[in-house]
Amino acid sequence: MEGEHGNSDVKFLIGHNAGRSAIIAAFIATHVATMAGLWFDGARLPKFDFNTLNGYLVLGLNYGLANPAINFVVGGIIHYTSGIIWGVVFALIVHPAIGRVIKPLAALTPVNNYIKGVLWGIVLWIISSALWMPLLIDPLFGGGVVGPFLTKFGPYGVQALFTNLLWHSIYGINLGLLFSPTPAGGSRTWRSTSGVGVR
Amino acid sequence: MAMKLALVYAGILLLGLVLLIVGALIEPARPQISQNGESLIALGLAFILIGVGFFLAYANPTA
Repeated sequence: MEGEHGNSDVKFLIGHNAGRSAIIAAFIATHVATMAGLWFDGARLPKFDFNTLNGYLVLGLNYGLANPAINFVVGGIIHYTSGIIWGVVFALIVHPAIGRVIKPLAALTPVNNYIKGVLWGIVLWIISSALWMPLLIDPLFGGGVVGPFLTKFGPYGVQALFTNLLWHSIYGINLGLLFSPTPAGGSRTWRSTSGVGVR
Repeated sequence: MAMKLALVYAGILLLGLVLLIVGALIEPARPQISQNGESLIALGLAFILIGVGFFLAYANPTA
């Protein structure tokens, strides 16, 4: 960790340490992706309402259908918490690990940080499509609604899988752009260039 | 090297645009849906966003 994400030799786009930066970046990434998922229908794509799906998981399908507003809020709290936790796991564990394992991504540059975020989005897409959707969501609806690896989702076919990729790409892109540790000794800083700072 | 990277990013962006346009063209009018059309729209938007993100990271003044 030290030398990569230590507080003395690294600066962050948001916040002063890796943990705080990760929490804020992950919250923003989760919110942007969640809102985009609710708007997918406008782009002729399957609507991705993870708030509602999470609500069904914890409150049960019958209660969720009978109380959609409560289901949306409770599911949303769980969904946002999950998004932040996945972001913190990325920032504190996966981000430095990728830098150690894949040497070209070792340098803390905005492009490398961005690539790591996109890779993390793809990993979460695989987890969501291979495990979360078919193993947890499908049984809620009695089975046969979600296909293996999300090749089916209600009336939709494989487009659900690619739309899920789009959703998780939006999350990974925002996470990678916002959680961006760079060496503190650089000659140019975001603050000095733009004249403002994000604390 | 920087020029080559910029070309790669532009290629990703262009690929996304092509996929999106093809997907939009083969997507039938509502309420019909096309699996191929929507798949291409989703992939096209994903590539476009990833390409735009590359440029944003590339142009980040902290670099």
